[in-house]
Amino acid sequence: MQHHIEITSEKIAIIRLGGELDHHAARHIREDISQAIYSGYVQDIIWNLEGLQFMDSAGVGLILGRMRDLQVHNGRTLIIKPSSTMEKIFQFSGLGKYIWHDTEQEAIQSLGGILHG
Amino acid sequence: MDNEMTLSFRAISDNEALARIAITSFLSILDPTIEELSEIKTVVSEAVTNAIIHGYDEDPNGIVTVQASRNGREITISILDQGIGIENVTKAMEPLYTTKPMLERSGMGFTIMESFTDQLTVQSELGKGTAVTFKKQFQPVEEPLYVR
Repeated sequence: MQHHIEITSEKIAIIRLGGELDHHAARHIREDISQAIYSGYVQDIIWNLEGLQFMDSAGVGLILGRMRDLQVHNGRTLIIKPSSTMEKIFQFSGLGKYIWHDTEQEAIQSLGGILHG
Repeated sequence: MDNEMTLSFRAISDNEALARIAITSFLSILDPTIEELSEIKTVVSEAVTNAIIHGYDEDPNGIVTVQASRNGREITISILDQGIGIENVTKAMEPLYTTKPMLERSGMGFTIMESFTDQLTVQSELGKGTAVTFKKQFQPVEEPLYVR
């Protein structure tokens, strides 16, 4: 499981996940991401799942948990590039409305930010 | 019965990936689509994770067993534990119901398992353990088209 967090100057965190996201992997990355939110550097999150080969309901728990973290400052969540199986899992879980069929760049723009570099 | 497999391992979360890899290999002869395979891997992962964290509360002395059999293109898979059991199976299967919200369990495991399989049965007895069994019929492999 790999994860990479990039934070834009508009406080949008782009979280790129790779490998397999299950219960085992989720608890290892949860803290990293929560810390970035609690430290105040993150307002909104874009989850880019393009590099993710597998995800079960632990992914739903991870994303829902971070949405709760973001609630404090009304942060927004977007999920981009899920596989069709992941998309079904999000639909079952009520997260379907957060899926955007856009590129990272378009997702950032829709949140009103610019990706530097 | 064309083939059978039994895999047992300790209730440690590392083994969630092991169970998925074993099932992937077992199914490879069926030449499943990417979607069929990822859905079955998801179901196995959900059931094995439940056995590890709910059945055994991650006690590594607990043993989880995955049994798989193949009959033509129909697969039957059981995930068994001898853990604490489920007090109310109907309740446990309700969407969003979880007894472990602090672990960020979404409560969607059984909903996903039911949606991605043709038939799912859950048998559980308090203090004895839980058996989750499901069946899935795989689609016939499409004949490749040869273009001259």
